[in-house]
Amino acid sequence: MDKINILIIEDTPEEATALQEVLEENNYNVVGIANTYQEALSLFYKLPIDIVIIDVFLDGNPDGITFAETISTIPDTLKPFVFLTSSIDRQIFERAKLTKPYSFLLKPFNGLETLYAIEMALEKFYDQSNVFINDHQDTIISECYLFIKKKNALNKVKISDIIYIDVEDRYCNIITKQEKFVIQISLGKIKELLCSKTFVQTHRKYIVNTNTIEKIILEDNLLILEGNHQVTFSGKYKETIKSFTILK
Amino acid sequence: MIKKIEINNINLNKLKFFCFLFLFNLNSFAQMNGINQEIKNVIKKNKKVDYLEKTYEFYKLNKWDSTLLYSGKLLNVTKRKDLLDLAHYFRGKSFLGKKIFNESLKEYNLISQEFYFYSYVQCSIGEIFLNQKEYKKALKHFTSVAKNDKTLSSKLEKSVLLHNIGLCYFHLKEFEKAENYLLKGTALQKKENDTLLLISSYMDMANLYYEQYKDNQAIPYFQKAYALSKKIKNFEIKQNAALNMAVVEENRKDLTKAMLYRKEYDTWKDSVNNQNKIWAVAETEKKYAISQKQKEIQLLESENKVKVSQRNGFVASSILFLLLFGTAFYFYNQKSKTNKIIEAQKEDLDALNATKDKLFSIVSHDLRSSVNMLKVTNTKLLKDIANRDYDALDKIVHKNAAITNSTFNLLENLLHWATLQTQQLYFHIESVDLYSVIQQIEYNYKPLFENKNLVFTNTIPKATLALADLNSLKIILRNLLDNAIKFSNENGTISVYIDDKNDAFYYLIIEDTGIGMDEETRTNLLKEGNLLNKKKNQKGIGTGLGLQLCKSMIQKNNGIFTIESIENSGTKMIIGLPKYKSNG
Repeated sequence: MDKINILIIEDTPEEATALQEVLEENNYNVVGIANTYQEALSLFYKLPIDIVIIDVFLDGNPDGITFAETISTIPDTLKPFVFLTSSIDRQIFERAKLTKPYSFLLKPFNGLETLYAIEMALEKFYDQSNVFINDHQDTIISECYLFIKKKNALNKVKISDIIYIDVEDRYCNIITKQEKFVIQISLGKIKELLCSKTFVQTHRKYIVNTNTIEKIILEDNLLILEGNHQVTFSGKYKETIKSFTILK
Repeated sequence: MIKKIEINNINLNKLKFFCFLFLFNLNSFAQMNGINQEIKNVIKKNKKVDYLEKTYEFYKLNKWDSTLLYSGKLLNVTKRKDLLDLAHYFRGKSFLGKKIFNESLKEYNLISQEFYFYSYVQCSIGEIFLNQKEYKKALKHFTSVAKNDKTLSSKLEKSVLLHNIGLCYFHLKEFEKAENYLLKGTALQKKENDTLLLISSYMDMANLYYEQYKDNQAIPYFQKAYALSKKIKNFEIKQNAALNMAVVEENRKDLTKAMLYRKEYDTWKDSVNNQNKIWAVAETEKKYAISQKQKEIQLLESENKVKVSQRNGFVASSILFLLLFGTAFYFYNQKSKTNKIIEAQKEDLDALNATKDKLFSIVSHDLRSSVNMLKVTNTKLLKDIANRDYDALDKIVHKNAAITNSTFNLLENLLHWATLQTQQLYFHIESVDLYSVIQQIEYNYKPLFENKNLVFTNTIPKATLALADLNSLKIILRNLLDNAIKFSNENGTISVYIDDKNDAFYYLIIEDTGIGMDEETRTNLLKEGNLLNKKKNQKGIGTGLGLQLCKSMIQKNNGIFTIESIENSGTKMIIGLPKYKSNG
């Protein structure tokens, strides 16, 4: 599990520092702090960023909104962002709204509010609402990462690192190359959101990353995966495996 | 009506003037007295019969045409024999009056013999025959009347009858009989002293004798007639009497006298002519008067027309005026209405302005006192630092934190109030997790709870999703929590929980175990627009702005707000927010 990378765009050093402290206390990784629009743009495209926190006003101008507008023009590289503002001026809000504000954070804010805003931004950006506030779920699935909330800390797991998933009721055991952990997500949702080419259900219980399959033992209904993990496949899903083998 | 009959006698070569002073008119006149009374009685009895009375009226006035018209109508209407007879009688009389003898005769013949005035009818028929020179027929009728002479009421009538019989005989050249009857008639008339009739009778007598060349007997009658004629005013009779005398004197070869009589005759004739002329003049005058009247009528008509047009003009102008008045009234009404509205608005504005001013003064007063307190504590702080009294320092800093916190809250509320009032507040309703919102707010209040040693519990289940605008909801909850803390006693409890009544709302309850409030305060707090109420238990900062802001914002969030409170045991602030229904 990795920390989530955050870019802060804030022109007031004290506030930037305070925010950084809050984020790092809560297991976030602040990869950079930009003071100007230009700096923000260069950092945004240079660093591996998961979430951007943007102050609406940079040096008295609403450059924060301009930045959001700029990154929104390229949807592929767009990341979720949170607006920081001390103004409740409707005109600013209306303009910010046009950039699809994934979350607002009204100054002054406390740590909890910051975390909530970040979570909200993620939920909205990946269109999987009300995940983190729920007791039954704690994971958002994006193209490359699983965003997993453990207690109050948010982490991410690279999807390509997953070897297989062992489903048990509402819980899923995620087995990656490095570790093993439990997330709360329904089987239906995980199947829907994970790329169906890469991930194939081989058994009522198992979803396997096909990239990690090393051996298929048909007579034993057994798959040998990377890291010497063994996963059975049931007759029901045998055909899938066969076609898969042929393809391979 | 004078008929001059010239008889050329071969022997005497005399000019004889028979003056039939026709007794018709007189006759009719005489008859009327007797008969009219009877007719009146008949009419009185039959008042209800249409046309009867009218017919009689015209008959009395000798308006023959009208009489004919109405009697004709009467004939059509009635079927009673006596009335039919009466109608025929009227018609006969009318035709007689118009000298249409044959028609008159027909009408008379239609009258039944039972008719009360049958004798009069026969008299009339006799007169008609006399007029038509059918003397024998006339005589027959007259004699039949004479036999039943009881029906003839007056002596005059009898005398007339006798006279007529005499005339008939006279014309039939039965002079002896004629003399007999005429004498009888004359005698009767003498008794009655009817001069007119008497003169005629005398003249007829004279003619009778004269015809028989009994000049000696004739002349005295002529003279008597002439003498009597002087006393009367009837020009025609005077004229005839004079003419007769002239003829008599001429025959006696007394030419001078004859000339005198002739002259007198001429004068009477002239007077008759004069009278005629006067009549003619009167006639023309009448015509003139009529034309004058006609002109007047025309004038009046034109005047009427003018008046009508004037009246129309007046009506039109009055309608126009009314319309004008109506529209004027309408506009006046409208104006006064708008004025009233403006007046009301002005009052409202004045009230609002007054509230605002008051708010200003209170807010500035509050700010002033809290800032002043900070100033004071700061100097104290400096002192303590100088004295290195760190225990006191800690206390003061905590105190200052509380002061700045409440001041900040006041300013925050003020700002939100202003933005709300100017519609500048960004407002976006979405699904909000009440649990995490409370948690986020609690995070800031932890030191405050600890200050008063309050126990705070949040028992809202996770993922309680309501529909609200997050920022305004936070403002609401902060204010309510502030209140809860303010009115809580030390070591009290503040609990936040949800009451799910299974309707469309989540009821978020903030309950404290504080001093509570009485019913009056409670209702006052819930009243619309009740800013700046004087509150009991007033200690620190409080303008009523906070609660007012809460009410406005809850309303804007489509929520419900109520307060339940028990004095000295606690208050429940209840916010109902619409539930969020997820699609998945």
